[in-house]
Amino acid sequence: MRKVEVSTITAILDTSLAVIFTWVAYKTGQILWKYTPYSYPNARIRAMEARLFTEQKFNELAESKTLNNFIMNLEDSDYKPYLTSLPVLNSESIDRALDRALADTYELFYRILPKRSREFFKLLLEEWDVRNITSSVKAKLRGEVARDYISEIGTMVEKVKAIADAKSLEEILVILEGTEYEEPYQKLLLKEITPEEFETELYKNHYLKLSKYAATRKDEEKKILQEFVKLKIDKINLSTILRGKAHGLGADKLRDSLIPGGKVKRKTLEALANMEDVEMVLAELDSTEYSGIIREHREEILEDISAFEKAFDRYILQRMAELTRFYPLSIAVPLNYILQKESEIRKLKAVTKLIEDGAKPEIIKRVVGELP
Amino acid sequence: MEPIVYVALGAALAAGIAGAASSFGVGIAGAAAAGAVAEDEKNFRNALVLQGLPMTQSIYGLITLFLIALVSGILGGGFKFAETTTENIIKAAILLGAGLTVGLTGLSAIPQGIIASAGIGAVSKNPKTFTQAIIFAAMAETMAIFGLVGALILIITGVGF
Amino acid sequence: MFKPEEMVKIEVLSLNRYKDSILTYLHEQGVLEIREIDVDVAQKDAPNEFYRKAASYTISLSRLIEFLKLYKKQEQGGIKGFIFPELKPKRKYKYRGIENLIKEIESFLENAEPEIKNIESKISSLNTEIERLKTEIETLELLSALDIEIEYLKPTKSVEIVVGFVEKDKFLPLIEELKKALDNRIAYVSRDLKGKVFVVVALLNRDYDKANPILAKYSFERIEVPEVRGKPKEAIAELQEEIARLNKELEAAEKEAKSLAEKYHDELVFYQELMENERDKANMLSNLVRTNMTFALTGWLPKKYVPKIVEGLNKISHGKIYVNIRPPTPEELDEIPVKLKNPKFIEPFEMLTEMFGVPKYNELDPTPILAFTYSFFFGFMLTDFMYGLIIAIVAALLIMGHKKLNDGVYRFSNILLWSALFTMVLGVLFGSYFGDAFQRAGINVPAMLDPMREALIVLGLALAIGLLHLFIGYTLGFIVKVKNKETVSAVLEQLPWMLIILGVVFLALSMAGFTSTLLGEVFLVPGVALFVISEFKSDLPVLMRLLMTISDFFGFIGNWLSYARLMALALATAGIAMVINIIVAMIWGIKIGPVPLGIVIGLVVFVGGHIFSTAINALGAFVHALRLHYVEFFGTFYSGDGKRFEPFKAKREVSELELEI
Repeated sequence: MRKVEVSTITAILDTSLAVIFTWVAYKTGQILWKYTPYSYPNARIRAMEARLFTEQKFNELAESKTLNNFIMNLEDSDYKPYLTSLPVLNSESIDRALDRALADTYELFYRILPKRSREFFKLLLEEWDVRNITSSVKAKLRGEVARDYISEIGTMVEKVKAIADAKSLEEILVILEGTEYEEPYQKLLLKEITPEEFETELYKNHYLKLSKYAATRKDEEKKILQEFVKLKIDKINLSTILRGKAHGLGADKLRDSLIPGGKVKRKTLEALANMEDVEMVLAELDSTEYSGIIREHREEILEDISAFEKAFDRYILQRMAELTRFYPLSIAVPLNYILQKESEIRKLKAVTKLIEDGAKPEIIKRVVGELP
Repeated sequence: MEPIVYVALGAALAAGIAGAASSFGVGIAGAAAAGAVAEDEKNFRNALVLQGLPMTQSIYGLITLFLIALVSGILGGGFKFAETTTENIIKAAILLGAGLTVGLTGLSAIPQGIIASAGIGAVSKNPKTFTQAIIFAAMAETMAIFGLVGALILIITGVGF
Repeated sequence: MFKPEEMVKIEVLSLNRYKDSILTYLHEQGVLEIREIDVDVAQKDAPNEFYRKAASYTISLSRLIEFLKLYKKQEQGGIKGFIFPELKPKRKYKYRGIENLIKEIESFLENAEPEIKNIESKISSLNTEIERLKTEIETLELLSALDIEIEYLKPTKSVEIVVGFVEKDKFLPLIEELKKALDNRIAYVSRDLKGKVFVVVALLNRDYDKANPILAKYSFERIEVPEVRGKPKEAIAELQEEIARLNKELEAAEKEAKSLAEKYHDELVFYQELMENERDKANMLSNLVRTNMTFALTGWLPKKYVPKIVEGLNKISHGKIYVNIRPPTPEELDEIPVKLKNPKFIEPFEMLTEMFGVPKYNELDPTPILAFTYSFFFGFMLTDFMYGLIIAIVAALLIMGHKKLNDGVYRFSNILLWSALFTMVLGVLFGSYFGDAFQRAGINVPAMLDPMREALIVLGLALAIGLLHLFIGYTLGFIVKVKNKETVSAVLEQLPWMLIILGVVFLALSMAGFTSTLLGEVFLVPGVALFVISEFKSDLPVLMRLLMTISDFFGFIGNWLSYARLMALALATAGIAMVINIIVAMIWGIKIGPVPLGIVIGLVVFVGGHIFSTAINALGAFVHALRLHYVEFFGTFYSGDGKRFEPFKAKREVSELELEI
C-alpha cells in the first residue's frame, strides 16, 4: 500500500514539473527573443533623441548671421565631424555634409538593429536612390544641371553622381544596367512612358517592396512597419490627387499614378480621383482617418497643396511618436528617430540657405517653424 | 525517486531559475545601459541603478537555497529525510514546491529587466523620469516577493527547523 | 505641518517708469508667482529692444563660455569633489536698470569677443588642416602599394588617369567592358587591397565620356590624388613633418586659449547669469498689462511675506503704487499654487511628496507622516546596525559638504540619514550587526527577533504595520473629505475600508482571546455592506459592477499583502549577510605554512561583501519603501493633483544683485 502511494506522488510531481517547465521555457524564450535585441538600440537611440535640436537651438542658429558662425554653432553637436573639413563654405557643401550625417544614421541603425528587421532601413535608404534618379533624369530631360537636384545619400551614391554627370541619356542606361531601375528607364528611352510615368513607376516599385517587406514581418514589427508604409503611400497618393486636381487633371490620368497598399481603400481613391476640384476632394477626405489634418489646414491647403504635404508629414511624425509610446522596445523607436532626424536636417538645410541669402533672423525662425 | 532528489532539486531550482532569470534581466538592462552610455557618459549612474534592480530575484533564490539546506539538514548535520517514507517524500515535495515557487516567481526578473531597459531609454532621453522608471521596474518585483513569502510559509510551517 | 503654506492674491498697479525696478525687486525676492492678467481695457506688455538684446547676448555669451570651458583648468573631480563641492564666490553687481547693464556688457564684449573668436577660429582652422593632411596621408598609404611617382597619377593634356577601388568580382568584367568600349585604348595597374581591387586606369582624354558610365556601372569608388610630389613614401614623411609643425602651432594656440579662459571665463559666466535673469524677466512681461502711463501685474504670494513685500514695493516706487491683497475665493481653488510647509527636519522629505505631485490647496500634505513611515520602512527592510551606520556616515558627510548649496544631494542625504538612524535602531532590536557576524564569532548580542528563524512572526509584524499604514491613509482621506464637505464620497470610498480594517483587527484580537467576536462583526458587517453599496452605485452594467466589486476587493487584499515586502527585504538583508559570514568563516582557517592566508582573504571578502550587501539592500529598501508610499499608501486617499508653487525667482549662482531702493 505504502509503495503505491509514494509512486503516485512522485508521478504527479514529475508530470507537473515537465509541463510547467516546458511552458515556462517557451514563454521565457518568446519574451527574450522579442525584447532583448531592441534593448541596446532603444536606449542608444533615446539618448540620441535627447540631443536632437530644440526650438531654442534653432533660434540660436537663426541668429548666426554668417555660415561661419552657423558652423561654429554646430560645433558641440553630432554634426561636428561632418562639418569640420568642408572644402568651401556654402549652402551646397553644408547640404552634402548634412546628407552624409543622415546616411550615417541609417548606417548606424542598420548596424545596431536586430537582423530580423534592419533590412527595412536599407529599403528606406533606397527611397533616396529613387528620388535622386528621377530628379536627375527629369533635370536632364529639361536640359538643366542635374547635380543641383541630387542629395549624396542612398545605396548607390557613386552611380547617382555619374548619372548626374552623364552627357547623354544612353550613358545613363549603361550606368543603370543590372539594377532594378533599368527596365523602366529603357521604357522611358523608347518613349513608351512619359517622365512622370517613369517617376510613378519607380516610386510604385519602391513602395511595393516596402509593403512586401513589412507584410512578411511578425507581430509588433509587422504592425508598426505596415502602419508606417501605409501612411507614406497615402501621403503620396493623396498629394498626387490633390495636385492633379489643382491642375485640372482627369481621373484616367490620375488613376495610373496611384500606388496600391495604403490605408485609404482603392475605391475611395478612385472616388477622390473622380472629384471635380480640390475642395470636393477635401470634403470627401473628411470621412477618412485624416479628417483632423484636413479640418485644421483646409484654408492653407486650398491655397497651396504643399501645406497638405507638410501637415501630413507632421501627422506621420505624430503617429510614429504614439507608436513609440505603445511599443517602447520595438522598431518604432528607430523609425521615429529617423523621421525626426530627417526633419531636423530639412530645417538645417533651410537655415543654411536662408543665411546664405542674407535673410533676417525673424524670417528664418518663421520659415523653420513652418517646416514639418 | 529518493527524497534527496526533490530536496536538492528544490534548492537548485530556487537559486538556479531565479539566478538565470536575474542574469537575463540584468543582461537586457545592461544592453540598454551600454547603449545609453555609448551616446552620453552622463547616463552612467542612472543606468547602473536601473540595471541593478533585476538582481534581487537571485538573492531571494539564494536565501531559499540556504533555508532549504538548513531545514533539511544538508547544512549543519546530516540529511534528515534520507529514508524513502511517505512522510519524508511529502516533506521533500514541500521543499521542492517552495523552491519552485521562488524560482518561477523569480522569472519576474526578465520582465523587470525589460521594464528597466525601457526605463533606461526614457531616462537617457529625459533624466527627470528616473524615479518613475525605478518605481515601474519595482512593480514587477512584487511577484517575486509574494513567491518568497509563500515559500517561507511552506518551509517553516510544512517542514520547520 | 499637514497644511500647505497660506497664499494670498496680490494685485499691483504702478507707473511704467518703476516697472523695471519693481520687476527686478520681485525677481530678487523670488516669493511671488506671477499670473497672466485677463483685462480688455489695457494691452499686453511686450519686451522692448533692450530685452531683445539681452536674449541675443545670452546666446553669444553661452557660445563663448562653451569654447573657453574646454580650456579652463579642470575643477576638483572625483569623490572628494562630489562630497565637498567647491562653493563659487558670488560677485556683486550694482543694478541701475537694464539699459546700463546692456551697455556694460556691450563694452565688455567689444574687447573680449574678437579676442576669443580669433583664437577659436585659429584652433579650428588648424584642426581642419591637420585632418586634411591626415586623410591625404591615408590616401598616400594606399598609393604606396604601387610605388610610383605621384606626378604620374595626375591627368595631363591628353591622358586622363582614374584612381580607385572596385569589388573583386567586378574587376575583370570592368576591364573587359572598358577595353571593348574604348578599342583597347587603356592601360591599367592593379593591386589586391583590403578585400577589393585597387586600380589605376589611364585612358585618352577624348574617351573619358565613354568610360565614365561604365565605371559608374561597376560602382567604381574614386579617390582624390593629393597635390604632392615624389614617391608616396617620401610625400608621407613630408606631410608628417607638416603635421608635427601644425601640432606645435596648435599647442601654442591652445595655450593662448587657456590664458584667455583664465582671464575671461568667470566674467563671462557672471554676465551670462545677469543676462539670463534679464531674459527671464522679459519672458514674464507678456503676463503683464500696460497703458501709456501705467502697468499692472497679479500673482500669488505666501501670506507670511506680505508685510515685507508691500513695504519694499512702496519704497521702490516712492509710494506711487496701488497694492491690493486678498484671500483666495472658493472659485480659485484649482488656481492656487501650493507650497508645502513643514518643520526644518521634515522639509527634505517634501522632495518625495513633490516627486509624486503636490496636494491641492484644500487637501492635506502627507509629508509629516511620510517622513516617519518612509524612514521606518527603510529601516525595517535594511535592519542592520552596521549597515545603518555605514549609510549614516556617508549621508552625514554629504550633508556637511552640501549644506551651503542646499541642493538635491543635500535633501536626499537628509532623507538617507533619517532612514539610516531607523535602520540602526531596528538593527539593534533584531540583534543584527553585519548580519549574524557577532553570533558566529561567539559573541552574544541581545536580540528581540531573529528575522531568519522567526520569519513568520516578522511577516505578521509586517502585515500588521501594513494594515495600520493603510488605516492611517483611509482615515486621513476621510477627514480631509469631510472637512471639504465631500461627505458622500468620504463615506463611500474611505469609510468602508476603515470599518473593514477595524473589523479584521478585532476579529484577530478575538481569536487571541482579547475581545469578543461580536465587536469585530459590528465593524466588519457594515463595512462590507457599505463597500458593496459604493460599488453598485456606479453606472456600469450589472455584470461589470459585480466584477469590479470582486476586483476592487482583491485589489485591497493585494495592497495589503504587498506590505509583506517589508519582511522579504529584511530577510534578504539578513540572508545575504549570513551567506557572506558563512563564506568568511569557511576560509578564515586556511593557512599556508605559517602564513594565515585565510584571515587576509577573509577580511577582504568580509569588507567587500558587506559593502556590496549594503549597497544592493539599501537600493532595494529605498525603492520599495518609496513604492509602498506611492502605490499602496497614496492610493488610499492622495491625488497629488495640486499646482506646484513656482515663484518668479532670479537664479543667482555666481552673482549677487544690489538694488537701489
